Amino acid sequence: MNALTPFPDAVPLAAASSQPDPREDASRPHGAAIAFSGVTKRFAAKGAAAEVVALDDVTLDVAPGSITGIIGRSGAGKSTLLRTINGLDRPTAGTVRIDGLDVGALDGADLRALRREIGMIFQHFALLSSRTVFDNIALPLELAGTPRGEIARRVDELIELVGLTDKRGRYPAELSGGQKQRVGIARALATRPRVLLSDEATSALDPETTRSILALLKRINTLTGVTIVLITHEMQVIKEICDRVAVIEAGRIIEAGDVYEVFARPQADTTRSFVASVTGAALPEAIAARLQPDPDGASQTGLRIVFTGENATTPVISRLSRSLDVDVTVLAGQVDAIAGKPFGNLIVAIPARPDVVDAVVALAGAHGLQAEVLGHVA
Amino acid sequence: MSPEIARLLVEALGQTLYMVAAAGLIGTALGLPLGVFLATSGRGELFEAVALNRVLGLVVNATRSTPFIILVVAIIPFTRLVAGTSIGTTAAIVPLTVAATPFIARIIEAAIREVDAGLIEASRAMGATPLQIVGKVLLPEALPAIVLGLTLTAVSLIGYSAMVGAVGGGGLGDLGIRFGYQRFMPEVMAAVVIVLIALVQAVQSLGDWIARRVNRRLRSA
Repeated sequence: MNALTPFPDAVPLAAASSQPDPREDASRPHGAAIAFSGVTKRFAAKGAAAEVVALDDVTLDVAPGSITGIIGRSGAGKSTLLRTINGLDRPTAGTVRIDGLDVGALDGADLRALRREIGMIFQHFALLSSRTVFDNIALPLELAGTPRGEIARRVDELIELVGLTDKRGRYPAELSGGQKQRVGIARALATRPRVLLSDEATSALDPETTRSILALLKRINTLTGVTIVLITHEMQVIKEICDRVAVIEAGRIIEAGDVYEVFARPQADTTRSFVASVTGAALPEAIAARLQPDPDGASQTGLRIVFTGENATTPVISRLSRSLDVDVTVLAGQVDAIAGKPFGNLIVAIPARPDVVDAVVALAGAHGLQAEVLGHVA
Repeated sequence: MSPEIARLLVEALGQTLYMVAAAGLIGTALGLPLGVFLATSGRGELFEAVALNRVLGLVVNATRSTPFIILVVAIIPFTRLVAGTSIGTTAAIVPLTVAATPFIARIIEAAIREVDAGLIEASRAMGATPLQIVGKVLLPEALPAIVLGLTLTAVSLIGYSAMVGAVGGGGLGDLGIRFGYQRFMPEVMAAVVIVLIALVQAVQSLGDWIARRVNRRLRSA
């Protein structure tokens, strides 16, 4: 085994019992691939509570080195799904494989060895109040029996990576939420994991701090190639850093794919409402309340126009007015970057005449944009 | 106060300290693992052993519900077996330890149960063994509560030690009963009470100080 390669491809995860070399490595470690196959998790009935199906036949592939987001409302099963990756929860049926290794088949020392290659960060940080920043980050290395000198070197490296050099000897009670999460991230990375699991890591933080933590995760992903799987209920998080997204509802994956694709063409209602929560693509309340599905007697038709990719900057509104001689009222809109690509969303009102509506939809289509009729207003 | 009485007072204080310290130390040595086990052997916990957990819980409760003076005489055969005699200061350590152990076990158990379950989960996610979780996470995190609990135990033991005069254990309480009460020497009783108050105060202050030192939770920045 090449001592300079912490994670040689050929070595199966749990079998790699020897310690990874603690020295900083020039070669980029590879993130692991994760494959869920028919994963079902039932929690047995307890007293008056009925049996709960937390996960229902989940099949999902997580690409190595990707940042994959799993979004869902509370109780949707996202936390359970995340916990099957490091065996904190075991599927009732189905398998979770990490680079081909079946997590459910591992036990005892093998499972612990695997867990050392999977870092995890938590919503409430889960730091030890009795340990300093340095000692918190050192904990996973102590647990793995790493020699003291190597621990010191590695921990100092990590403290620098997360920008807490001046907080080295502080206790968690003396840190802000964002600083605590940085400690959590450094701790999760201590054993040079191939996978980083994030359990609502930014949900307890303010928007500004959330952005800085997400930027740090993104930087770590780029730097080390670690596969990041995060769960969240905030579409903003997905939008900010994820490459891939899976939407989970009632224990089922209802939609999954490239983040940009899902934002541009959400299929399920739940996905649409998640997408609308960050793209500004929702109708103003006052208008939404008056919306009717039937065009009869309506004076205006509400239309959503989605700008994607290279068409995101098309001056379609001015062209509509000019070439079709239609008055267009802009009701809501936002232009944004999603997964690094421009993405626009515009809600407009046009006269509620079938010929006008059809012409506008056709013209938008001709420019490579999607237009969707939301409803009609009298 | 005659020099003779002063000498008795010093001797009694020494006996009390000896009994309380010995029972406290042995009680902690036994009660600590017992408390850790009680806190970690319930359903779905680190060392799941539900039946044993129940049995030990019952034994602990039974011991704790027996009035101490009854316990002292009830376990005289056991005391003789362990200490070789049932009379004297050293022998009195046996019933004191028997009373202290379940008390300490419950205190340790409560302190450990107060540790955030999220920390246990995080440690498991890091690949910690159950013993590592106990040694590196649960006990250090519970330490401030454990120190306060042990302080409480020491104060209770000082109180209990007053009763072991019944089996010739000596100590401050015994001095107060035999001289202050039975020989009508109120100044001895007063001296005993004052020494006891000072002793409890000192123990409590020391415990509070250590607990503050080990508690990193409430430190101001």
